[in-house]
Amino acid sequence: MPRAILDVEHVKKSFGHPGRWWVPKGGFRQTIPAVDDVSFFIRPNETLGLVGETGCGKTTIGRAILKLTPLDQGRIVFDNVDITAMPPKQFRPLRRRMQMIFQDLDAALNPKMRIRSILKEAICVHHRLTDSEIEQRTRELLEQVNLKKSKLSNYPGELSGGEKRRVGIARSLAVGAEFLVADEPTSALDVSIQAQVVNLMRTLQSELGLSYLFISHDLRIVELISHKVAVMYLGKIVEMGMAGSIADAPRHPYSHILWSSLVDKRSREGMSEFTCEREQNRGNFRDRETRSLGCRFAPRCPVFLDKGCPRECTSPETAPELRDIGGGHKVACHFPL
Amino acid sequence: MDNQRILTIENLHAYFYARSKQAFIRSVDNVSFEIHQGQTLGMVGESGSGKSVTALSVMGLVQGSPGVISGAIRFHTPDGPLNLLHGIDRHVQLKRHNGRIMTVIKAARPWEKRLQRRMKGIRGSQLAMIFQDPRSAMNPFSTIGRQITETILRNTAISSRKEARDKTLAWLEQVRIDAPKIRYHNNPHGLSGGMCQRAMIAMALAAEPTLLIADEPTTGLDATIQSRIVALMGQIKSRLGLTTLLISHDIDVIRQLSDRVAVMYGGTVLENGPVDAVLDPAAAPKHPYTAALLASVPDRRLIKKKGVLKAIKGDVLDTINTPKGCRFYPRCRQYHGKIVAACVNQEPPLSPVAQGHAVRCWLFEPINSG
Amino acid sequence: MKTFRQITLRVSDYSQVPLWRKARSMDLACVGYGMVVVLMVVGSYFLGASGRLPFDPQAIDMDLLNAPPYTEGHLLGTDFLGRDIFSRLILGIQAYFLPGLLAIFIALALGGASGLVSGYRGGRWDRAVTYAANLVDSFPRLVLILLMVAAFKPDIYLIMVVVGLTHAPTVASMVKSKVIFLKQQNFIEAAVCLGLNTRTIIVKHILWHNCRALLIIQATLGMAEAILIETSLSYLGFGVQEPVPSWGNMVQSGANYFLQGEFWPSTAPALAILFTILGFHLLGDGLNNILERKQG
Repeated sequence: MPRAILDVEHVKKSFGHPGRWWVPKGGFRQTIPAVDDVSFFIRPNETLGLVGETGCGKTTIGRAILKLTPLDQGRIVFDNVDITAMPPKQFRPLRRRMQMIFQDLDAALNPKMRIRSILKEAICVHHRLTDSEIEQRTRELLEQVNLKKSKLSNYPGELSGGEKRRVGIARSLAVGAEFLVADEPTSALDVSIQAQVVNLMRTLQSELGLSYLFISHDLRIVELISHKVAVMYLGKIVEMGMAGSIADAPRHPYSHILWSSLVDKRSREGMSEFTCEREQNRGNFRDRETRSLGCRFAPRCPVFLDKGCPRECTSPETAPELRDIGGGHKVACHFPL
Repeated sequence: MDNQRILTIENLHAYFYARSKQAFIRSVDNVSFEIHQGQTLGMVGESGSGKSVTALSVMGLVQGSPGVISGAIRFHTPDGPLNLLHGIDRHVQLKRHNGRIMTVIKAARPWEKRLQRRMKGIRGSQLAMIFQDPRSAMNPFSTIGRQITETILRNTAISSRKEARDKTLAWLEQVRIDAPKIRYHNNPHGLSGGMCQRAMIAMALAAEPTLLIADEPTTGLDATIQSRIVALMGQIKSRLGLTTLLISHDIDVIRQLSDRVAVMYGGTVLENGPVDAVLDPAAAPKHPYTAALLASVPDRRLIKKKGVLKAIKGDVLDTINTPKGCRFYPRCRQYHGKIVAACVNQEPPLSPVAQGHAVRCWLFEPINSG
Repeated sequence: MKTFRQITLRVSDYSQVPLWRKARSMDLACVGYGMVVVLMVVGSYFLGASGRLPFDPQAIDMDLLNAPPYTEGHLLGTDFLGRDIFSRLILGIQAYFLPGLLAIFIALALGGASGLVSGYRGGRWDRAVTYAANLVDSFPRLVLILLMVAAFKPDIYLIMVVVGLTHAPTVASMVKSKVIFLKQQNFIEAAVCLGLNTRTIIVKHILWHNCRALLIIQATLGMAEAILIETSLSYLGFGVQEPVPSWGNMVQSGANYFLQGEFWPSTAPALAILFTILGFHLLGDGLNNILERKQG
């Protein structure tokens, strides 16, 4: 089994008031834990799909890996090098090996630069090349992402969504990335363009041996593109395992609800019974009562209600840990389905 | 009464002038359809296909002065049909060349004011709209209860504030917001996205409109919330029998909620028919675009096999330079493999292939000798 | 009746449409007028240097005091010492232009740098810059200039240094808000991810590509302001000193005779000030609309 290219160990990050000496501890100084003790690893040429609802901390993890957001605790090891506390200067050579595809199509490219200079800049960051070499590399990149050569002289604002996405991918490839954090790469695109981008990403993976952290809320696409899937809920990974086994038989009640909502949408008959009506308690860190509790999903959990609100779900000491239930399938739940 | 028409749109055009490109964006280009009493028409299409602009045209909310709106939007009131665009054509003169609008002769300035005046009595009371982003569609400085009460007082026969308040609570109950008495006093920002969308639906329904327009009601919500909103809309539909124009890019939502479907592409309707005939992959989709759209969403079998998605090649149609022939032709050629000379040169008409099912494609049309 | 042309451009040709064709004709007219003003200013230097003025601007003609326009070849008449107003008008702008450039340079360099630092670094830097800006802003500018003049000497360059310093906070706050806006955009983060160093990101992505329009516009507006400041100072007698001609001291000296019906000695430079400042303002405004691709 090949070693992991990326290892994320017990990562924690909270946002909120930075805290000053005049602010009493535990007073009105509130921090919002966006990511709470998350660990996973990605092997070369592998895709980990990260799914979850808005605000569950998916994007924060992706940004933390690229050191765009500083971490509170935990360790990130990239290719056997601990990058958690690496000074920026030392980290710069490693940067080119890991890149990010941003969710926002329009903000990800400098609006005042032509596509040609965007690509040229990326090509020349780490290597000194002659003009003809740059020209050739540009052509190569365009071919890799199926972009027309005539688009080179356009500004990003003149491209369509799919083309902007391709330019973003090409820029990542230009520096020679091996590992890509793809933050919702398809959510801003039309269905037909989504399919193109997903196909492109899979082709590139098989051709160039890339590894992806694929962050998305589109379960079908995640299942299609990923080898492993991790389901997040309010900053914690609640279930992790092979994509097929999670999609076929989700064991955590939350993942079950996620995947059954997909089925609900496809069938005309209506909703399956296994859904919670308590949407009002939808996970939100601003709901104070859910913060101190053990299992974060308990307030919405149908199993929790069925079992008569057992103590171990709500007590902070016995918060469910991620444990293996066979075949590399991990669940953080006292009563897996 | 079942078959009574509520809304008829005939040859609707809505063009906007883009100065930086020095050209007209043909957002809506020759759209015709009708909605009957109690029916839900789903409009599905990609971005820039003109679905939202069609909805905004019906609501009389289109703006952008060097622009054109023409055609007929007939709203069938009990007193007889009312063309919302009546008299607006007079201010816009289009020069046609080979049946296509090439030049706009007159200034399009006066039509906006006329449209606003005409829409005053209709909007709100007879036409209501649910927007994509409920937070920005509601006043952030007022409570949702007060906003719904205002709607009721303005648009229905109820004139006492107390009665309207009770009615508001009833509507909040209806859209399954629990503890409506507490939520009544919440600002839109105090609610989660799903709850806010429910409040928005309640507000639209509170006016007791004849026609409800829902523009992407589930986009931007989380998956679990989405399915709940869809379920709610399904319940409302069966309970109230409301006539709805539902707009979404999500085929699943359309399939679940609508009776008839209009597939939009590049500003026009490519296929129009009952939902089972149009959007059922098993029923052999008629138009190549519909087929391709259905194929680009992965199904279980494909995911299991880890197969390659069937993507539509090329990009979403640029609505400035619409091709001379079929709109979908530039992307269809690669997909379908069949090239018909007429596809390149002549736009196909919307021709019936079955009862109440029409397709705009030369594959389903005897080609003229021209 | 207004006709819109249907342009038959092909799809990929948008970027080939030159900037001026995408712009509004009103903006083009403004910029055109502004350019004419700038050209006239530059032209005055050529005329002054080559000595091709109709009269010697310093030559005193005691026979023709406050002569009306068109007397003996004096196109705009003469002033109270019988000097040719037209020649002095041409040279008058030279009292402003180079000192004005100095003021602009100081304002842009200081304001731009501090705006960049406070916007990009934030935190302590931002606070420091904001306090300094507030300090400068809260001191009346004219009083500060008068203090400097009193302490040193009434030198136009000295005055313009003060004008530049006091204009810097305006530039700084504009640059800062722009930088804060840009920092939220992902492309800055993308550039960080690519491994570009901070200097390249700031200079290339922020300053050159996204702030240059703003700085150009601030430069033109700054020039207009410098002219106004000098005019008001000259009127108080602290600006450019006689006998060197400047529009400000021309207005001042001519104003004494205004009520006696001899309006031309002060009206001509006043109108010149009006049209020049208008020109710089319109230039800035038009450039702003065109460069930022604002659509009408």
